Amino acid sequence: MARVIFENAGKRYGKMWALREFSAGFEPGEAVSVIGPNGSGKTTLIKCLLGLVHATTGTIQVNGQKVGNDPSYRHQLGYMPQISRFPSELKIGQLIDLMDDIRGNTMDRTEGPLVKELGVATMMDKRLGTLSGGQRQKVSAVLAFRYSPTVLVLDEPTAGLDPVSSQILLSAVRAIKRSGCTVMITSHLMEEVEAMADRIAYLQDGRLQFLQSPEEILGVTGLDRLSKAIPAMLTAKTGSHVESL
Amino acid sequence: MLKVYKYTLIDLARNKFVGGWLLLLMAISFGLFQLEDQPVKAMLSLSQVLLALVPLVASVFSIVYIYDALEFTELLAVQPLHRAKIMGGQMLALGTALVLGAVVGAGVPLLIFHPAGASVTLLLACVMLTLVFTAIGALIAIKNREKARGVGLGLVVWFLFVLVYDAILLWIMYAFSEYPIEPWIVPLAALDPIDLGRIMVMLKVDLAAMMGYTGAIYEKFFGSMMGIFLALGALAAWVAVPSAFAFRAFRRKDF
Repeated sequence: MARVIFENAGKRYGKMWALREFSAGFEPGEAVSVIGPNGSGKTTLIKCLLGLVHATTGTIQVNGQKVGNDPSYRHQLGYMPQISRFPSELKIGQLIDLMDDIRGNTMDRTEGPLVKELGVATMMDKRLGTLSGGQRQKVSAVLAFRYSPTVLVLDEPTAGLDPVSSQILLSAVRAIKRSGCTVMITSHLMEEVEAMADRIAYLQDGRLQFLQSPEEILGVTGLDRLSKAIPAMLTAKTGSHVESL
Repeated sequence: MLKVYKYTLIDLARNKFVGGWLLLLMAISFGLFQLEDQPVKAMLSLSQVLLALVPLVASVFSIVYIYDALEFTELLAVQPLHRAKIMGGQMLALGTALVLGAVVGAGVPLLIFHPAGASVTLLLACVMLTLVFTAIGALIAIKNREKARGVGLGLVVWFLFVLVYDAILLWIMYAFSEYPIEPWIVPLAALDPIDLGRIMVMLKVDLAAMMGYTGAIYEKFFGSMMGIFLALGALAAWVAVPSAFAFRAFRRKDF
């Protein structure tokens, strides 16, 4: 049984459908990259899984547990949002303490994945309001990986990170994937998608256009790079010319 | 809920605005007691200022804080926590910080210069109005996606309660003065929490004329203790109803 199962998941805001009839299953140890143009429904899909958005239609399951009013399934989730903002007057250490309290984690705040690697261990007494965008992303990454999630959701994870930190983060994603964690990742960087994804879900106008492995996409189109192959695939599928992603 | 409450309160304790609010109230209170010869007059002037300012600050600050904390609230909402606990913790922390600001800022001068039952009643009214308008502010912030619209709505609600509603009530009483409408005025007055605060203070000071027409009618209907308890009960309902709607809206909210 797949770890994450979407069955006809859809979300409507007023008259507009942000996501329509999305059905798919994601396996343990699999990384799925969700891509598509702006407004295609990527964030809505992720937010439906996280329970931040209530799906209008269909069901979503995580490890057999239905996404709904019972928040206990979120013990299995790790989430790194695209934009991280925290209470400005709290210190990094206090934020980690709060999350540890909520998760029932007894680990020391300076221990755990990425804390030392991203340099967060030395910034524990820094006020969150004084952090740069990149530093906030690092804190966010630490929180996402901290509680051994079985499903990790990353929304544009390397946006705002320096190249070294990006590489550290991507290595951590590969490692957690190897340990059996299901990873959902949105990114506009095709190199990142190519390097990370076992399958690529392409969304457009809230609809899933295809869900295939990079090898299948390259094989079908006969091209050598995803940045060229995906537009070619869409052109073949929809009949309309796609300039870029 | 206590975890969210604790850390939100730590954040609020270091917030410059909350400290500024406390100092402003202290400056106004000390100033009024220095200017007036009779402490009771200073207390009445202070009550007019507090009954207008406390709801305004509680409402607008709650709205702004909830909007500014939206991304963090989103992060909390993806944790294994019921949404009611997140909302409850945040609202309780906001209420605590603002109540402490008002009680310490105005309470210290009041208890130094006019240590009487009326001062305690005024502080009690401030506490209740802070909680009422924190709940109203939270409801507005959750129901409206745009910060500017939320703040605008908060100001409109405050203006309605602080001035417009009393004026409408006065007009009704004037226009229908030939009819036996007095039994209706009492429940109508209870529909304005700021009026209820005024009534509580008025009943304690026994100066109905200074506290507005609706207050005078209220005093006529109820004795002092009875009136205080009824007003407190109505104010408690004013906290409970917007809070219940805020919790309901938060539970259904799409981030």
